[in-house]
Amino acid sequence: MRLLRHPYLPALAVAAVAASYPLVRPDDLTFLGVGFLTFIFITQAISWNIVGGFAGQVSFGFAAFFGTGAYTTALLWSKAGWDPLLTLPVAGLAAGVVALLVGLPVFRLSAQYFSIATIGVGEAARVIAINADNLTGGASGLILPFNVPDKSWFYWAGLAIATITFLVSAWIRRHRLGLALFSLRMDQSAAEGLGVPTAFFKNLAHVVAAFFVGSAAGLYVVYLSYAHPDQVFGFDLSIGMVLMNVIGGIGTLWGPVLGALIYFPIRQILLSDPSLVAVNLLVFGALLILIILFEPGGVLGLLSRAGVVARGGLRFRSADEKRAE
Amino acid sequence: MTEPLLVIDHVSKRFGGLVAVNDVSLTIRRGEVVGIIGPNGAGKTTLFGCVVGLLRPTTGRITFAGARVDGLSQHAVVRRGICHSHQIPAPFPFLSVRDNVRVGASFGRRRHEVGRVVDEILTRTGLDQLATTPARNLSVGRLKLLEVARALATGPELLCLDEVGSGVTAVELDRILQLIRDLNDEGMTILYIEHNMRAIGAVCGRVIVLDFGQKIAEGTPAQIGADPRVVEAYLGAPIADSA
Repeated sequence: MRLLRHPYLPALAVAAVAASYPLVRPDDLTFLGVGFLTFIFITQAISWNIVGGFAGQVSFGFAAFFGTGAYTTALLWSKAGWDPLLTLPVAGLAAGVVALLVGLPVFRLSAQYFSIATIGVGEAARVIAINADNLTGGASGLILPFNVPDKSWFYWAGLAIATITFLVSAWIRRHRLGLALFSLRMDQSAAEGLGVPTAFFKNLAHVVAAFFVGSAAGLYVVYLSYAHPDQVFGFDLSIGMVLMNVIGGIGTLWGPVLGALIYFPIRQILLSDPSLVAVNLLVFGALLILIILFEPGGVLGLLSRAGVVARGGLRFRSADEKRAE
Repeated sequence: MTEPLLVIDHVSKRFGGLVAVNDVSLTIRRGEVVGIIGPNGAGKTTLFGCVVGLLRPTTGRITFAGARVDGLSQHAVVRRGICHSHQIPAPFPFLSVRDNVRVGASFGRRRHEVGRVVDEILTRTGLDQLATTPARNLSVGRLKLLEVARALATGPELLCLDEVGSGVTAVELDRILQLIRDLNDEGMTILYIEHNMRAIGAVCGRVIVLDFGQKIAEGTPAQIGADPRVVEAYLGAPIADSA
């Protein structure tokens, strides 16, 4: 399927089709709500993939950025009276600043130790948020204004943010930043030895990823009209971002999108059925083991084996190399 | 004589109690091809590591084109104009040959020059036929060439080669040696660590011999081959009564 090789056009086509749904069925509120949340999860997965996939720095601490973005929007909107839409870039920037502060020390650790350290970072952020009562509402959370736009608006806003994140990720993958990230993933010391400032690029990728996660988080709390530390800083968010990528195909362009489309509905079903809530982590744990054992490339790896997607489409190809063909 | 490009000034490197490089001083002038030889464990690779920024000398200083480079991070050393090839090839396995070279060419250079530089280097190293092949599919000989090609892509003034002539076929070795001569003819300075004496003799104007971390001899390849200290370092001292 040569189509998947071209990064931008298929994405815009898919986005256009998705965008037309509220025009056809403006009263299908369930679908619009689920659609909006799916876009938020797609954004999370694509962003995580820039760091965990392209650069190979598997982080379990992305909830810290989601929570930071969520509370930035919540506070600016409810306390300072900003328009929610205007708070989103600020939420992204705040998350980016946190990513930089976290990344500067933590990226000095090598891969496995980096992953372990990020677990601590994510949990520390949650504990701080729970205890910062007068800012975050602590354990009772923060009730936000209820005068929000309708569901179609959220659906489109979520779609827009997911599409922009995808395009940025596709652009990174084809250009110099992507080349730097791919090279340092494969051999960090060889990349350094060829003049790649690896620490700089890791931090840059981290900040970019956190920006989109934070912006999406801002939109998410506006939709819910409620922010709670356990919800927006929850460890399940961090794990979810890893899982979506593992399911879809880590390090690929479309993998996180596919992964989110599979992960999110399963998660909703498991969490909404009282008899299944208790086993939800069990299901995902089993899924993780099966994927890693039998198809580390995720769904895209499976499709590639089955010949549905061209093998070459999954590997890194710079814009320059494509022109050369 | 031309100006000194690299000056290694009383450099020592200790790993705990082990003195790997012991008070070595040497100067490389612009346009030279200098070989470093020595038995296993002589400290060649450690000295090399200090020059290219992989290791920090315990004492002593290294200056390159008049500025100190010891203690700089590795990518900064590369940016100053020193780049090295690995003894054991370290390609980016899932990147194509072309993109491997592009990694070297893309940083610290204007974007519109990158494609041209990559094309030139692929052509002159003979890797252009394999441009789209993933690096993990290359043979050892090609990987050694790719090591040199990537290092060249960074546009170095001083190219440091670590045993590029080991583990390759005779034809591949000739190709690499010819490349070294061509680069030198164009004015590039080269520091070459090697076990293979034929390779050293073919390209180096000057050879430095290390043994137990110390410089024990220096001269043309012919002088080195005749030097009793060098023979002793490699083969051991002659037995007294056989003399």
